[in-house]
Amino acid sequence: MSKSISAAAASSSHNLIGRKPPFARMTRRLLLYAVSIFFIFGPLSSLILWSLAEKWFWPHPFPSAWGFKYWHQVFEGKMLSSLGLSFAIAITVTLLCLVLTVPLSYLIARNRLPFKHVILLLFLLPQAFPQLPVFTNAMVFLYRFDLVGTLTGLTLIHLVGAIVFSVWTLVSVFQSVAESMEEASYMLGGGKVYTFFHVVLPMAAPGIIASSLLVFLYSLDEFTGSLLIGAPFHITMPVFMYNAANGYEMQVASVTSVLLMVPGIILLFFLQRFMRSEYLAAFGRV
Amino acid sequence: MRKTNSHSNVFWHQAAGVGLATPAIAVVALLFMYPFVLSFLSSLRSQEQVWTLANYVEAFSLYGGDLLFTLWVCAVSLVLLIGCTAMIGGFLRLGAYPVLEFIFKIPLFVPFVVVGHAMRVFLAPHGTLNSAIAITGWFNPDMLPSFAFSTLGLVAALVWKNLGLALLLVLGGFRSVNEGMLEAARGMGAGKLRLIWHFLVPMNKSSIGVMAVLTFTSMLGCFSIPAMLGNAGGHQMLMMDLYHQSVYQHNYGLANAIGVITYVASMGAAIYYLKGLSKK
Repeated sequence: MSKSISAAAASSSHNLIGRKPPFARMTRRLLLYAVSIFFIFGPLSSLILWSLAEKWFWPHPFPSAWGFKYWHQVFEGKMLSSLGLSFAIAITVTLLCLVLTVPLSYLIARNRLPFKHVILLLFLLPQAFPQLPVFTNAMVFLYRFDLVGTLTGLTLIHLVGAIVFSVWTLVSVFQSVAESMEEASYMLGGGKVYTFFHVVLPMAAPGIIASSLLVFLYSLDEFTGSLLIGAPFHITMPVFMYNAANGYEMQVASVTSVLLMVPGIILLFFLQRFMRSEYLAAFGRV
Repeated sequence: MRKTNSHSNVFWHQAAGVGLATPAIAVVALLFMYPFVLSFLSSLRSQEQVWTLANYVEAFSLYGGDLLFTLWVCAVSLVLLIGCTAMIGGFLRLGAYPVLEFIFKIPLFVPFVVVGHAMRVFLAPHGTLNSAIAITGWFNPDMLPSFAFSTLGLVAALVWKNLGLALLLVLGGFRSVNEGMLEAARGMGAGKLRLIWHFLVPMNKSSIGVMAVLTFTSMLGCFSIPAMLGNAGGHQMLMMDLYHQSVYQHNYGLANAIGVITYVASMGAAIYYLKGLSKK
């Protein structure tokens, strides 16, 4: 009797050695969460603090007067037109990008285009080299057509990066759609166009949604091109924010930053459903 | 009927394919490839339109220090980023932490400009981090260091911003590692750290390589973060010099010479990609 008890005790203590005691595990887990949350939300929370601070004297750890004064101020000022412009351009770029890249990526994914690797390399370059030096030259090019400072020029420069994102994600999306489904449709008498719209597109829909959300966010956040091509005439949100921050209008810049951050974090919630890391992981490796 | 038409059918299909492909390729070719080539040509011309290497000589003599500084900042950030990504990715792979995974993806969706501003506010001499430390009362608040406008601020911002993308690229690879193999290693008594550095990382060299190449270029070419965090005295990131030369000085030759130097520095990406292709 006593033997079996001691055996049980021995086995349970063996278990305890194998795994750490629950208390230590809990604290370690909590510590892990605390460090990660501090690391990610620390910088972000200071933006929110600053956007709500009406008066803040050093070395007070918190603002001495809170309020939405600067939020009102921002919404009454020029920011609203920048916000509208940014969203309008982002939506236009997303739609254009869908039209331009969905068929193209499908053809690349199914090896139906000659020089596939050359084309893919072309679409990798904008991601593989710094944008600023190229865009300063693109600006010289656009001057020839009087497109600098126009909405067309701004949309075009956004489109460059957007197309790259879109093609790379969409190619791997289409590659994940089983080709046998298409063959089945051909066997049953479906034409190429019919099959594309009724078989391929519905199966690729989640990936296409994920990729257009990425494109939308890219365009919303685009800064370099907007500063060079659009700047004094058409000010997008990031440029507006940059100007405010460089003028040391801390609160205005912080309010704009929070506004710029919100769409991304909201979309991240949606993307969780659609976004699979393999879509992006294919970047540069198809 | 069909057979006689098949020849023209093929032609029409090809024409349709080319037609569908052209617009997107045209946009990238005209607005990226052409300016890209243009910057090489323009870097070789003086302001009097004479072919010369003077721009490069000037670029190296004026901005040689900045070039080294930029490469140094990017290299340090990259090493830190790879370390962080491997550790975090490994923990996310080995245990179930859906909340943490969500949290670490946030930087991917925060714009570069916002990161620059956030880090500036967070790390400034009178910033939020220092006030948070000051609450504890252990330090004299006026003696606390400021990281915001130093190299450390730049590195912190670059690592923070690229963490989301890096994690996304690497986690996919980590997730595809066979569970049985990890179980076996665990059975032999390997701890988490050993599992990460001796199994997950070596088995995913290629995805870590792609991540390193892409993020290195993105750090090198990043303009908004140095523009926000700038450097009070001392060296600057090359993109700032380039912007200064082209927008304020209108010295396009010199600006493009700096540009070409950054192309060469970020050449790794293209070479890596071509190598991957030639293996297949």
